[in-house]
Amino acid sequence: MSLETLKISPGFESYMPKEYVDLVERGPYGREVKVSEMGTFKEILEEHPMCAGCAMTLFIRTALIGLPAPEHTVILGTAGCGRLALSQASIPFIYGNYGDTNGVASGLKRGLGIRFPNQQKDVVVMAGDGGLSDIGFSCVMHSWFRKEKFTTVMLDNEVYGNTGGQESGMTNKGVVLKMAPHGKKFEKMDMIGLAKTAGVAYIARLAPTNPTRIANTIRKAVLIAREVGPTYVQAYTSCNIEYAIPTPKVMDDARAVEKDRYGFMEIISDEAKAYLERIEQEKKAKAVAGPKA
Amino acid sequence: MSSATSQLRYQVLPGPEGLLPPSASAMGVVLPQDGEGLVEGVLTAEDLALKAAARAMLTRRNPTLFPGPLVVWGWNKHTQEKASVVLEIAAEIPGVKIIPMPDYRPIYPKIDPEAVINPCHPNLTIWHNKIEACIFVGVHCHFANVTLKMVRAGTNCYTIALCAEAGHEDAMVSLPKCGTEKLQKMVKALRQVKKEGITPWALTPNGKRELEAERDQRRKQREAIASAAPDFAHELVAGLDENEE
Amino acid sequence: MAEGLETEVKTNPQGDVITTTEAPKKEQKESKAAKQRVVTPEHLFFEAPRTKTFITGSEAAKEAIRRANVDIAISYPITPQSETMQQVGYLYAEGYLKDYYRGEEEYGVMSAVAGASRSGVRALTATAGPGLMRGMEVITSWPGGRMPLLLMVMCRVINAPLAIQPDNVELSYLLNCGILVFHAENQQDFYDFPLKAYVIAEKCEVTLPAAVAVDGFFVTHARGWVELPPEDIKLPPRDCYHEAVPMMDNENPPARLSRDAPIQKSNFISYQMHASWQQEIWAAVDRARPWVKKYMGGLIEVVNPGADTMIVASGSAVSQSREAVRQASERGDRIGLVKIRSLRPWPTQELIEACRHAKRIIVPEFNCVGWLAKEVRSTLYGHTQAEIVSGPRVFGGMSMPTELILEYLYKTPNEARLTDKPLSI
Repeated sequence: MSLETLKISPGFESYMPKEYVDLVERGPYGREVKVSEMGTFKEILEEHPMCAGCAMTLFIRTALIGLPAPEHTVILGTAGCGRLALSQASIPFIYGNYGDTNGVASGLKRGLGIRFPNQQKDVVVMAGDGGLSDIGFSCVMHSWFRKEKFTTVMLDNEVYGNTGGQESGMTNKGVVLKMAPHGKKFEKMDMIGLAKTAGVAYIARLAPTNPTRIANTIRKAVLIAREVGPTYVQAYTSCNIEYAIPTPKVMDDARAVEKDRYGFMEIISDEAKAYLERIEQEKKAKAVAGPKA
Repeated sequence: MSSATSQLRYQVLPGPEGLLPPSASAMGVVLPQDGEGLVEGVLTAEDLALKAAARAMLTRRNPTLFPGPLVVWGWNKHTQEKASVVLEIAAEIPGVKIIPMPDYRPIYPKIDPEAVINPCHPNLTIWHNKIEACIFVGVHCHFANVTLKMVRAGTNCYTIALCAEAGHEDAMVSLPKCGTEKLQKMVKALRQVKKEGITPWALTPNGKRELEAERDQRRKQREAIASAAPDFAHELVAGLDENEE
Repeated sequence: MAEGLETEVKTNPQGDVITTTEAPKKEQKESKAAKQRVVTPEHLFFEAPRTKTFITGSEAAKEAIRRANVDIAISYPITPQSETMQQVGYLYAEGYLKDYYRGEEEYGVMSAVAGASRSGVRALTATAGPGLMRGMEVITSWPGGRMPLLLMVMCRVINAPLAIQPDNVELSYLLNCGILVFHAENQQDFYDFPLKAYVIAEKCEVTLPAAVAVDGFFVTHARGWVELPPEDIKLPPRDCYHEAVPMMDNENPPARLSRDAPIQKSNFISYQMHASWQQEIWAAVDRARPWVKKYMGGLIEVVNPGADTMIVASGSAVSQSREAVRQASERGDRIGLVKIRSLRPWPTQELIEACRHAKRIIVPEFNCVGWLAKEVRSTLYGHTQAEIVSGPRVFGGMSMPTELILEYLYKTPNEARLTDKPLSI
């Protein structure tokens, strides 16, 4: 939504539901918002039908705050829990076929590039571990090898949550889930290693324990995807239902898993690093120069 | 797909039409050209369609405008101009409601049928407000068609579609290529019909009584919420802290 | 295309077709693409002077795409489609398209053109046989997503045992998606139809994907006469803000856009919406009718109207039937022929009008299941007294000799084997 589409037609302000007026007056569009400011602006994701205590929801909500330009961002999802929240968010959302996200995103990003050569349009895939590592694997890998300039975010709850708890490629070895009655027979897929092999420009792994870090990681990933190449964020977003984590213990679990095997990790290419530094310098220079008189 | 050779014509009338009626297009209703209108499935002259629309909006119960995204979001000058003519149309209809369709996504957990109409379940808004005549304007054609079809299936609402493109078979009255100029003609048609001696529904004894009762009910609702809410909603008003440890 | 049936096809030891084409010389062509000017569809289709050329079907498609103002084409090789999409690649190299790439496989390609179409650009892809089947999950979602893109289908065998030969059984799977389907008879059609398909598909009240199908090899790899307008004119660009749905570009309202809402939660969305949505797709297919009439000269073409015996055919079976009609006329028999240009929208009324009077109707097809005969039978049920013969049919890459059609005009070969006599031993 370029900011032009966020203007209510004169005379219709009083007929618009409050939610939309809030979106116009207090939305996070055209300005940078921080996690610490939550509560002072209208968030991109508020009401949603996700399960109580869902860590994925917390991750998505915080990740959306990290988007550098939500008014020029399109999000793509596929079947899975995440899309239930994403389709309720105040951001254009594409819900395609099973495992098609990175194929659709490739065409979308290129098409937007053709139509708007002078306006960065950010494309972000946000889908589950099954959607990206199993059914969407080919589209994911090829979008990376082709160096398509968009961000892929895996909401890794290590299970098919939405279909009722089946093993996925990202499930840990030995875990007993539906369709793995004797426990999963093979290791969790190394998507980070595959991203490295494919030459992804920025790779990050994290658990949702630190909201500011979530927002910063997403911001970096989206910015690098604009100029340098594909970026990949793999986030542990536990399924408290299928893994029977008591709701009050969801964050304890996140911290434990983080400490054990899901610690924060970044792999950034030299080109991407240089690009981020350049942006940072430009930002500082602007701040020093101050607002124009 | 087109039905057979029969010379009988399919009437596009207010419903409820049944569980799942066919689309009017499948029953052989075709779209009007610029300068024409479509009234209950029949191609007519534009002025006749305008008049039929005006008559429905002035005589039927709870006339309502449903402005879509292409009216309520003033993204360019053309839209803003169009929006102002839509308000002129509203001004000619006593007792009119304006309920926007600001976008098309499903709304969770449920819509407020007094505040908004949504193509995922347009009937909720129409049933709740007892709307028996309405104008859709500025809704993208796909979502307008999906909506009109469901409204015809489930309600007795007389639907009017003022379309910027090719028009809509499933509306009882439809006009194509509605720019500001043609919308102005709708304003004139409303004035003309009133001049011909029609008493608008809102000014009839029934209309007056019903609108007054409605105002009354709303007032009571507001009061009830104001007096009851603090006790009940205390915790929720503050919101839950998702980051709470 | 009767004359084009004898094709010379070079294959590698695996039987795949070798389709080497010389790469274009870049420097001279670039400026040509830039110099193209936009004309109205009417001018491009009906008014511009045309020159007769003798080219293959693949080259005819290339000439269509050269003039179609396509923004992005996404390809994946499969015989017999590859030649066309690599020709489109050369057009990209010459500057006629803005983007082009080879995708990972058909599922990814069909998804990617869907993404491109949602962004508002004019998108193209093409496939054949097994590739179409692989992309089918995505293709069936295009109409519901209201994506006016173009899919060219160069029909070939599907199923096992694997083969690359012409056979159009795959079209039967395409008929129930809600996509517009036009079946080209010959090289000329394969030039005309893609351009017209874009214009029809992008009409606001239609806003649907379109498939232009052609029988592989018989048309794609054989030469035929094609009348072409000049190279320096092209269609107007896609006007994406005048379509049935908003674009996913963040530049048009509504600001908060979920166009493809997941209709799964009964608590906040109505199942009836999905039903209404599907009806709307087929209503949109119907709304293409006046445009097919205007631009393609009708959903059908009728030769010798009113004849007692009518042939109903689509694709290259039409060409073979034309020749059969000619040969029958040499015997003094007047045989009618209905060419079905548009499979979706289906010419219900037209077919009834053209066949109501007939005494015998035959439906020659290049596939095993006889999908066209089934369509014809269900359409004509209750509207004609004619005997409707399902056949002749050939498949698996066989060609259809005109003699076979002639036999069916009078008697089916298997009728001679029917008897009521008991076994004599």
